[in-house]
Amino acid sequence: MPKLIIDDREIEVATGTKVIEAAAQLGISIPRFCYHPALGSVGACRVCAVKVLEGPAKGIQMSCMLEAVDGMQVSTADREAVEFRRYVIEWLMMNHPHDCPVCDEGGHCLLQDMTVSGGHGLRRFPGKKRTYPDQDLGPLVQHEMNRCIHCYRCARFYQQFCGYRDLGVLGIGNRTYFGRTAGGRLESPFSGNLSDICPTGVFTDKPSRFIGRRWDYQRTPTVCIHCSLGCHAVTSVRYRQVARQEARMSAAVNGWFLCDRGRYGFFYASRADRPRQAAIKGETAGMEEALAHARSRLEALAPAAVAVIGSPRSSTEVLALTERAARLRGWRGPAFFADVGAALKVKAAVSRLEAGLAVSLGEIDQADFILIVGADPINEAPMLALALRQAAQKGAGVWVVDPRPVSLPFEFAHIPTAPKALGAVLGRLLRKSIEPAGLDGPAARFHASLPGDPASGPELPARAAELLAASRRPIIVCGTGIVAAEWVELAADAALLLRAAQKKAGLFYVLAEANAFAAGLLTQLDSTTDRVLKAAAEGDIQALVLVENDPFATFPDRRLLEQALARIELLIVLDYLDTPASRRAHVFLPTQTLYESGGIFINQEGRVQYSAAAFAGGTPVRETGGRDHPPRVYGSGLPGAAPQPAGQLVARLAGEEIPIDIRAQREYFSEQASRLAGLPDTERLPPDGLRLALRNISAERFKSMLPPVPAAESDDIEIILTERTFGTEELSTYSACLETLEDETFAGVSRQDAEALGIRDGDRIAIRTENGAVELAARVCDNMAAGAMMIPRLRRLPWQTLGKSIRRRDIRKA
Amino acid sequence: MNDTYPQVLFKNRHPDRIATFEEYRAGGGYQALADVIARWTPAAVREIVLNAALLGRGGAAFPAGRKMMTIAEDAPHPRYVVCNADEMEPGTFKDRVLIHADPHLLIEGIILAAWSVQADRGIIFIRPEYENAARILEREIGIAGEHGYLGRDILGTGYSFEIVVHRSAGRYICGEVTAQINALMGKRANPKQPPPYLTQQGLWERPTLVHNVETFACLPHIVQNGADWFKSLARTAAGAGTKIFGISGKVKQPGCYELPIGIRLSEIIENCAGGMLDGSEFKACLPGGASTGFLPRQHYHVEMDFDALKKVGNRLGTGAIMVFDHKTCLVAATLNLMEFFARESCGWCTPCREGLPYIRELLARIEAGDGEPDFIPRLEEMKVHLYRSYCAFAPGAAAPLESLLAHFKDELQEHIRERRCPFNKEPGRGSAELVKPRFIA
Repeated sequence: MPKLIIDDREIEVATGTKVIEAAAQLGISIPRFCYHPALGSVGACRVCAVKVLEGPAKGIQMSCMLEAVDGMQVSTADREAVEFRRYVIEWLMMNHPHDCPVCDEGGHCLLQDMTVSGGHGLRRFPGKKRTYPDQDLGPLVQHEMNRCIHCYRCARFYQQFCGYRDLGVLGIGNRTYFGRTAGGRLESPFSGNLSDICPTGVFTDKPSRFIGRRWDYQRTPTVCIHCSLGCHAVTSVRYRQVARQEARMSAAVNGWFLCDRGRYGFFYASRADRPRQAAIKGETAGMEEALAHARSRLEALAPAAVAVIGSPRSSTEVLALTERAARLRGWRGPAFFADVGAALKVKAAVSRLEAGLAVSLGEIDQADFILIVGADPINEAPMLALALRQAAQKGAGVWVVDPRPVSLPFEFAHIPTAPKALGAVLGRLLRKSIEPAGLDGPAARFHASLPGDPASGPELPARAAELLAASRRPIIVCGTGIVAAEWVELAADAALLLRAAQKKAGLFYVLAEANAFAAGLLTQLDSTTDRVLKAAAEGDIQALVLVENDPFATFPDRRLLEQALARIELLIVLDYLDTPASRRAHVFLPTQTLYESGGIFINQEGRVQYSAAAFAGGTPVRETGGRDHPPRVYGSGLPGAAPQPAGQLVARLAGEEIPIDIRAQREYFSEQASRLAGLPDTERLPPDGLRLALRNISAERFKSMLPPVPAAESDDIEIILTERTFGTEELSTYSACLETLEDETFAGVSRQDAEALGIRDGDRIAIRTENGAVELAARVCDNMAAGAMMIPRLRRLPWQTLGKSIRRRDIRKA
Repeated sequence: MNDTYPQVLFKNRHPDRIATFEEYRAGGGYQALADVIARWTPAAVREIVLNAALLGRGGAAFPAGRKMMTIAEDAPHPRYVVCNADEMEPGTFKDRVLIHADPHLLIEGIILAAWSVQADRGIIFIRPEYENAARILEREIGIAGEHGYLGRDILGTGYSFEIVVHRSAGRYICGEVTAQINALMGKRANPKQPPPYLTQQGLWERPTLVHNVETFACLPHIVQNGADWFKSLARTAAGAGTKIFGISGKVKQPGCYELPIGIRLSEIIENCAGGMLDGSEFKACLPGGASTGFLPRQHYHVEMDFDALKKVGNRLGTGAIMVFDHKTCLVAATLNLMEFFARESCGWCTPCREGLPYIRELLARIEAGDGEPDFIPRLEEMKVHLYRSYCAFAPGAAAPLESLLAHFKDELQEHIRERRCPFNKEPGRGSAELVKPRFIA
């Protein structure tokens, strides 16, 4: 470990540490533009110059390129170094426009900081400024090339870190241009990070333009709830409007970045059509009046005739209080999952994720082999794809076993496998790559029970088994969307088997929604949405309470839903979205978003994270002020502040008054908290969150059974409902800026099936269902398993009418 | 004149056509290769080049043998040899003349170098303006292959090696070796600081040996005649070999001449180039291309060798001598060079990308009679800062400016004082489209 002296202070750093990082450890911030911890050192901007007084190369050196070595003496304040850095700033400012007053970066601009701290106050350069044309990069990122200081961060991030090629460097010299060969929407679903990593205002958040300066904003550390990863964000609010979201560095979870769904998905919170007032039969009512009305109608019913449906998009507090309310009153539910299958999968993941196996998103890049079973990272949990890319860049082999045409921004291998055969392929791969010799006990018996290669049929690629056999740190990534619960269990046993084979194996589940983990811990298998709706359709249930759940968006059987809603007497909806369900509610109670209430979310690896309340709520001044500021109408209350935390409201529906402060609510659900594996107190949560005390139940190990792959008992085409990066995750579909990024409706068909059905890529096809025909475009995919059709859960597509499989004769060219 | 100076590289040169394969072979061509491949070890070739003290002829003067030595015996394959024919240094045209004179000398040199490091594939990276040369090379490479000097199983020894001609997309920075390797891989032609060194991880992360055209051309002669013979060609004790000098500017017979290393500048100008133009007096010259400094009158008799020029604070560079007379404004000349450098900067690092246009702007204003006295200290400061750039491009660009400030500062000051170019009969125009800086203080 080299010891060196920086500015007369000694420090010992790890071998390989660059001087710029060593200085940071001493609290000395050396100026930088091109250097970024996630992107590394390239020595382009030259503003991190220091003077080496003792060391292998004396004189002015770039601290980002210079490795700290023993006995080195460095001065950051040396006159020569300061003078050179001052020139670098002056050079960069030669062409930088003085448009700071109208630039969205103003106030948190690194170039501004460096210009001021570097002492470059007066312009000496007598020449003209360079100008560039800007490009329209789509709805998310604003381009303003004149501000560019050519640090190359954007291109390095976009191409090297993320693996997308449509934005890069063009031209040379001082005409060097950062953009696309022609304007157009950025292809990367991580494009919003450009605005974070750009040290000045070349790339800014387009949907957040002209709302405020950083110092104007109420900035709050929050957790993203647009998938199950729980990435860290900073939310900015101004004038009661949630205005902007940035990535918040988290070594354990998302690193430095955030995907575009997470970054721009928050606009649902400040939508103009957000329902902010209670309503009875569609007529606006006071919150207390509506509550009293709802309560009296509920009390008139037998408890067993009332059912509660919640959803994994709610905070843990809401889930727990909903559960408590249902128990207190003897209501049915709450149901958190659509059907037993879905609930089982999540329960399996939650119970099988042992402490010794769980790996965090931040640890993915340390793997040397990654096997992805039934997960589509870029669409289900985009930041996972970015983490996988970093592992692949370091040399990890990534293999995907999935029926869908999975695409990832790096080189990987794909074994297109029918959903029913996913487990068998995983089993065969394990059997092939692990020697039984070193195993004993349950591991050995489990290994022996795994299937070998069948006598006929395609063989597994030998390379996959070789790589897995040679790996030391393999990770199994397992989805819970299209896989059966058995495969979820099998994935855990696979990781255990790899452990038994002396590998430092890890397990990483992808869950369907932000708080699925907590919902999985709390849910009862006999209470699922389909059961509740069936009972309602049969007349056994008269009242439905929907807590932050829109079954129109989430429930896969539209017919059953309609039957149930037609039959019940009372529909109470608690939500912050203007959903089809909330519009049909007999009593509607507005709830607070996460940004107003705050709340705990447990991500897919059991990490408990607290998302703080960002503001007190209320209608944005933009709306109440009649576009004037200051507003012309004054009142003592906060306009539009009727919404309350859903947990509070559901407790009050059950006749219990609890404190509105969610931290004080905790004592009301201590029983639920104990079922949440000893949910830690909000106050005790470190910035990176805390993993739940996951169980290690050896009795559950190696019990997964591999049911034989059924010989094609039917010729029907299986429907695989699948997620897309944009347009299927419920909350972000209420974010207007993401609307144009949604896919066109389509049905993915394997080439084999397409040929058999006489369909060509791009053909319009009609699928006959019990509920009428559905027409959409066929997308013929080469890397897709036969016997399945991929249907995205896009809201423009009535996927809820398609059922689980389709007879081939019901598919026609339109 | 050819009687006076031994002609080695140009011995087959014809005034009007290239030397044919047969002519090249008749003069002993490909004999070195045949000998080496039959009887020498690869290490012996590397050693003789090292002993011959051959310094790289592309401008940087790195010992060619030492570079070849850094490819380890057990280095991975495929290994590459790249011939840098991206001759874009202003004033330099020796490689073009050499290829047009005797292409097989280059081809044999490349094969010898390849054999000495057991390379598998050779690439001639040639600037796009040299399309004729590229076609000549492609044709002659084919002929060499037909005679068994290239391709599979060369001369029946089991050694295989092939050469392809790669046309650059253009740009001065492509001549910088690391940028050239990036360009060959389809990346942006940005330089890349070592480590790793190219001879360890170059093209496609494989060992790669890059030499200039003229460096390769020396190899057959060194192998055939020995290291001592090669050293004896030079006039100076430390120097070795001959050098192709390209002389241009205010002389009577500009052109390309092969002369011994260490020959005096005055001798080149007076004996070879026919002396200064009538009515012209020698004022200064750039001794080795645009990225060397102005050599003032006091060094008129300097020995044209790497060491000797270093001693007077200059460099031999590519050996492209550009001669300026007493009627030439060196501020204008520097401005002209700075235009080139500012345009050709790859845009990677700040001092080069922004500093050069800054300097160009100040020089343009001074030349146009719009200069301010404080421009000079600023130029003095920036010329130092250019050395803190990412690669050797900006320091090269600094050389003319540095020497202008060192030897011709009075000329600069006169421009500013008189608010006009003293070499221009017209009164100072200022610059119509340039706005004078007005500071509100």
